Amino acid sequence: MHARYLRLLLALGGIVLGLVAYNVQVDNLGAGTTTNRAAAGVIAAWSFLAAGMAVWSKRPGNWLGPLMVATCFALLARQLRYSHDALAFTVFFALGELGFALIAHSALAYPSGRITDRSERRFLEVTYATVLVFPLAILLVHDQGVRLRYFDPYPRRSILLISGQDGLAGFLEDSYAVIAYGALAALFIFLVARRLKRATPRARWVLTPVLVGVVVAALWAVYNSVVAFSTRPPTFVARNVFWWQIVGLIALPVALFFGLIRSRLAHADVGDLVLRLERTPPGEIRGALAEALHDPTLEVAFWLSERAGYVDADGLPIELPQDGHDRAVTYLEHDDEPLAALIHDPTLRYEPELIDAAAAAARLALENARLQAELQAQLVKVKESRARIVAAGDEQRRRIERDLHDGAQQRLVALALDLKRAQGNLEGRADPDVERLLAASAEEVKVAVEELRELASGIHPGILTQGGLSVALAALANKAPVPVTVDATLDRLQPEIESTAYFVASEALTNVAKHAHASSASIRACVENGKLVIEVSDNGVGGAAADGGTGLRGLADRVEAQGGRLRIESPAGGGTRVRGEIPCAL
Amino acid sequence: MRVVIAEDSALLREGLARILAEGDFEVAGQCANADELHDVVRRRRPNVAVVDVRMPPTHTDEGARAARELREKYPEMGVLLLSQVVEAAHALALFSERPEGFGYLLKDRVLEIDDFLEAVRRVGRGGTAIDPDVIAQLLGRPREDDPLAELTPREREVLALMAEGLSNRGICGRLFLSPKTVEAHVKSIFMKLGLMPAPDDHRRVLAVLAFLRS
Repeated sequence: MHARYLRLLLALGGIVLGLVAYNVQVDNLGAGTTTNRAAAGVIAAWSFLAAGMAVWSKRPGNWLGPLMVATCFALLARQLRYSHDALAFTVFFALGELGFALIAHSALAYPSGRITDRSERRFLEVTYATVLVFPLAILLVHDQGVRLRYFDPYPRRSILLISGQDGLAGFLEDSYAVIAYGALAALFIFLVARRLKRATPRARWVLTPVLVGVVVAALWAVYNSVVAFSTRPPTFVARNVFWWQIVGLIALPVALFFGLIRSRLAHADVGDLVLRLERTPPGEIRGALAEALHDPTLEVAFWLSERAGYVDADGLPIELPQDGHDRAVTYLEHDDEPLAALIHDPTLRYEPELIDAAAAAARLALENARLQAELQAQLVKVKESRARIVAAGDEQRRRIERDLHDGAQQRLVALALDLKRAQGNLEGRADPDVERLLAASAEEVKVAVEELRELASGIHPGILTQGGLSVALAALANKAPVPVTVDATLDRLQPEIESTAYFVASEALTNVAKHAHASSASIRACVENGKLVIEVSDNGVGGAAADGGTGLRGLADRVEAQGGRLRIESPAGGGTRVRGEIPCAL
Repeated sequence: MRVVIAEDSALLREGLARILAEGDFEVAGQCANADELHDVVRRRRPNVAVVDVRMPPTHTDEGARAARELREKYPEMGVLLLSQVVEAAHALALFSERPEGFGYLLKDRVLEIDDFLEAVRRVGRGGTAIDPDVIAQLLGRPREDDPLAELTPREREVLALMAEGLSNRGICGRLFLSPKTVEAHVKSIFMKLGLMPAPDDHRRVLAVLAFLRS
């Protein structure tokens, strides 16, 4: 309410001041001014007022509205300074150049309303200082004797006059024109160009209105420097550039206004979105939203209540970025439950209606996509738990094998050794029955040791544990009924990876022996691109298939459980090639 | 002859120490893991180390790795590995072209006390002791136009013992044959396999193993 009254008051003030300014100008025709030009100047100022008010009410949190309104008053001040009243002249002359700074400020603050870049902030500080200090300094030394630039010949009195120094006043005016219309205008154009160059694609699209600001600055600089430095401006400039800069001046607030409330106008795109989403599979909803919001970098994250976190469309957990300079995050809800998050270009933050409208249109599709992502996440979990189960089973087999070898077997060997020693120590000195019994017991224990080793090897191949994959593959090849060449020189890998590769080779060689009728085979194992590749080929009859009851299905399951894949090429009559790829960290 | 034992099972370690002591070895140290083994070997400089392949902490191949390091550091010292399982590929990978002063036996072989002590002695003197199972695997490998097929059963026995690392005298003792007969068998084997007669036992083992693995 408060802000609304303030705006109303300012609007009325601006209108009244505009009328006054027109009258002041008309009273002082001369120095090239006409009634038309006076009216155009006022209208340009009012265009800032109107656009500023509209932005202010639509985007109350954005400083651009107040800035544009302030620009209106600064532009009117520039005209009011032609008043012959000493007080009005002094006050408005002091404020008359402020418009330049405010226009630059508006263009650079678009679209957020804030200046975050350090060099832009520094530039504005210098600009504000320049446009305020120079007119004040001129007022301190300007005596009525000299004609001021842009002014009619009638003298005006500065109430701030300390001592009349016309030479100094003239020097200050010249310096000001060089600094403000030359250096600062060029710097402003440079800053805008730099900003466009650095901007994200979406930001560049959003930033187009500030280009109008550049045109205004350029035209104004040209016009003012020409008028300032030539007593008799070329007619072309005097006649045309004035009107161009007026047009540019009016265009700027209009462009800023439309730029800021563009989202209201983007309903056409959003309407399209509704129609498109009906036909969009959940996997492509990101693309549809990105297009409607003009942000190719847009990402969608779905809320998973069971994880209390966000996942991507594949169900993999993702970390949302900090809402900041590079990326912005908008959270979408449905029935007070989090639904999804849009990770997007920060410029979209200034167009909340656009995001709201798009989110509303996409709600149903997003809900579908979220369910899909949830399914994907469950699938990921199932895969993970499958891998864990396989790994746990493997680990257990390894442990049993180890315990058998390092526990029971060692004890039995030690026991047999003691029996043998006892037997040796008693040789010829004890009851022959006792000796026989000792010999038989030692023999029994030896057999037990052998059986234990067989048992342990059936649970997990001991040679894999103590020799590693390369050695274990060579051992496999040695036992095969056909000549098998082995090409494997690997360092030790994680035990579960070694096991899986070993079982691939072992099963494949069993098949070679049973089904392939091959005369030779080969095993190759190597690490390629972070994957252990194990390949068993033979020159047999081929025709093997993963679902043919050859044990290949179980093998494929095992490899897939480890996140890898198994391929079987087995054309009839063309041999069989089993190739497993298992991701491994080195 | 000075020997150190590296074996993590205390029972078996004690048993080994006793039979070695009774077999006139000087047991210079008993270790339960690879670090202790390195330490004791450095201090006591034994002629031979009897090492379990699997030792703490992971019980995978700590002993084998220690053996490789020791063989590089002390080439004059013999290393006899005791393994829970034996594979030809493992043996070949472990002695890596240098069977001198190297042994690789299945753990149960210690129960054939005399043969075991003989093997330790052989390795301590720079000879070789390869487990009979390994040799059997190498002999039994399928190969195209196999020259081994021409050997008589007796010659195969002699070949296997040569490959294990036994000298002619050792072979005589095992097979209860006269030195002359053994020499004749060896000559015949070398002819049939097309091998050059080797001037000493080391090179003979090397030649035979090289033939068998090819």
